[in-house]
Amino acid sequence: MKFYRVSGLSVASEIVLPGMNVSPPQCAPQVTIRPGPVPHSIPHASVAGPTWQIAGKTFLLRIPGIARFLLIDGRENVFSPETEASTADIPIFIVGTVFGILLHQREQVVLHASAVRVNGKAVLFCGASGSWKSTIAAALAQGGYPLVTDDVCSLSVSASGAPTVYPDGRQLKLWAQAINRLDLVQRQGERVRTRLEKFFVEPGAVFSEPLALGAVYVLREARPPHAPGIEKPNVVDTALLLRRNAYRPLLVRRMEQMATYFHAAASIANSAGIYHLTRTLDFTSMPDMISTLERHWQELHLREKAA
Amino acid sequence: MRTIWLASYPKSGNTWMRMLIANLSAKDAPVDINNLPERGGIASARPPFDHLLLIDSGLLTHEEIDCLRPRLYETLANGAEDDEHDTAPDQTPVRFVKAHDAYTLTPQGEPLLAGERGADAAIVIVRDPRDVAPSLANHLHRDIDDAIAFLNDRQAVLCAKPDRQHNQLRQHLPGWSGHVASWLDQTDIPVHLVRYEDMQSDTVAVLRGLLNFARHPASEQDISRAVRFADFSELQNQERAWGFREAPQNGRNFFRRGETECWRDELNAEQIARIEAAHAPMMQRLGYELATAVALARAG
Repeated sequence: MKFYRVSGLSVASEIVLPGMNVSPPQCAPQVTIRPGPVPHSIPHASVAGPTWQIAGKTFLLRIPGIARFLLIDGRENVFSPETEASTADIPIFIVGTVFGILLHQREQVVLHASAVRVNGKAVLFCGASGSWKSTIAAALAQGGYPLVTDDVCSLSVSASGAPTVYPDGRQLKLWAQAINRLDLVQRQGERVRTRLEKFFVEPGAVFSEPLALGAVYVLREARPPHAPGIEKPNVVDTALLLRRNAYRPLLVRRMEQMATYFHAAASIANSAGIYHLTRTLDFTSMPDMISTLERHWQELHLREKAA
Repeated sequence: MRTIWLASYPKSGNTWMRMLIANLSAKDAPVDINNLPERGGIASARPPFDHLLLIDSGLLTHEEIDCLRPRLYETLANGAEDDEHDTAPDQTPVRFVKAHDAYTLTPQGEPLLAGERGADAAIVIVRDPRDVAPSLANHLHRDIDDAIAFLNDRQAVLCAKPDRQHNQLRQHLPGWSGHVASWLDQTDIPVHLVRYEDMQSDTVAVLRGLLNFARHPASEQDISRAVRFADFSELQNQERAWGFREAPQNGRNFFRRGETECWRDELNAEQIARIEAAHAPMMQRLGYELATAVALARAG
């Protein structure tokens, strides 16, 4: 059995979770991960999509040719490989896609975001797959801002209304082009999957204490009518903006958690702020973008770099 | 709601067609080219895949994605939204969806675009490949010879570089002839063929014809107004004033010349011969007259 801390949760897993930090053994882990029989469909599913079904507290996800995953009550993750050859590919789907869904199942606010630490607070970059969340976090990590999380970011909003982010020291996942253009070859680790030119990248400093939230940036590509820069969206739009940047926005609606995200958006807007960060998909503009962010952090009194 | 593919090789008038359709609902002024009131987007867009299947496409190979793409189009054709909104978008009688993918089969042998479960029909837009070449060169920021090599390559693909994640899913473009043939010769869904050159010479008649085919209600007044609002010079004016979100990222304009027979002053004799030698049979099938004897001999 291996033990990890993932998005603030203690996890016991019968398989190695790549890119995750190992933690001391726990006698009562909050989440267990193990191989076992998983059906092709679950009876009495109330909501379903082409690759997934929900029945009460049970969630079935099928990634054809790879595995089926059964998530029970946000506590148990049972997986069954679809072919013998696919076993090696399963862990990477567990730490991303499957764990993200499990966090939705636990009714946590979970964003599709990467994050760095700026002066002791977490600064998040949200966006769909391919929006350069990881690339921006990697460039900032290289510039001295420690990585908080990559791709999946779990938030809790306390009764006092201050949002907290749970780091888990997971490694970055970057495509070969980004690794080369950001000069990160020295930190390049294993391939994420044998057939992809996408690699784990050692993030540098790792820490696990929960952090207060500093700012949330929603990434947007610079295409007319949007020019590069930082913009504060209309307050009315922030609730939808946050929900659209949930790890899996469809599940917020289908799991009837819209109120949770509405309250989280209000809390974030009051305590930290939600902004649009419009940027070009161009490596040469990265230094300018980092300068723009640092100026913004100065305005937000977040500026000084973490030790 | 019916789903209809607007299928074409790139640079063949697909966007102009979308502008015409979008302007059917405009009353007082042309629609904003950067904010079209359309439902469909492009079939190869990546976000709807992750959104509806809940799987991170960035962790899948192109072949694994292809095997799942039919599930996406079935789901969308059944009325699923491809993004989250606070209020449902206006219902339209027909959902037109742009596609540059050739009509191909997945590794498992089913139609990539899900056949009749993915759409009710297709409007296939074709343009003289000799005019596609210079337009494609401008769009891809490559010279015309490279564009012709792409047009003639039966293995050509878009968005398939292995070292990065493209914002669209991989698209097979098996040469200009192969692409057109894949759509015209498939028998899963009915096809309505539109030639770009006919859109130019009689836009009203072409638009009326395709709306009849699509069973999309529109009055003669709606049609003539849409044609006026989506006139090429209007699209160019808007792009000059505000830019166009779908323009190439190399600073070049999307709406370039929009004319027919540009090839007569943009291609040299050797370039014309290369295109005609590769595509003579399909060009003749579509009524594009050949200019070179070599091509005629091969076609014969």
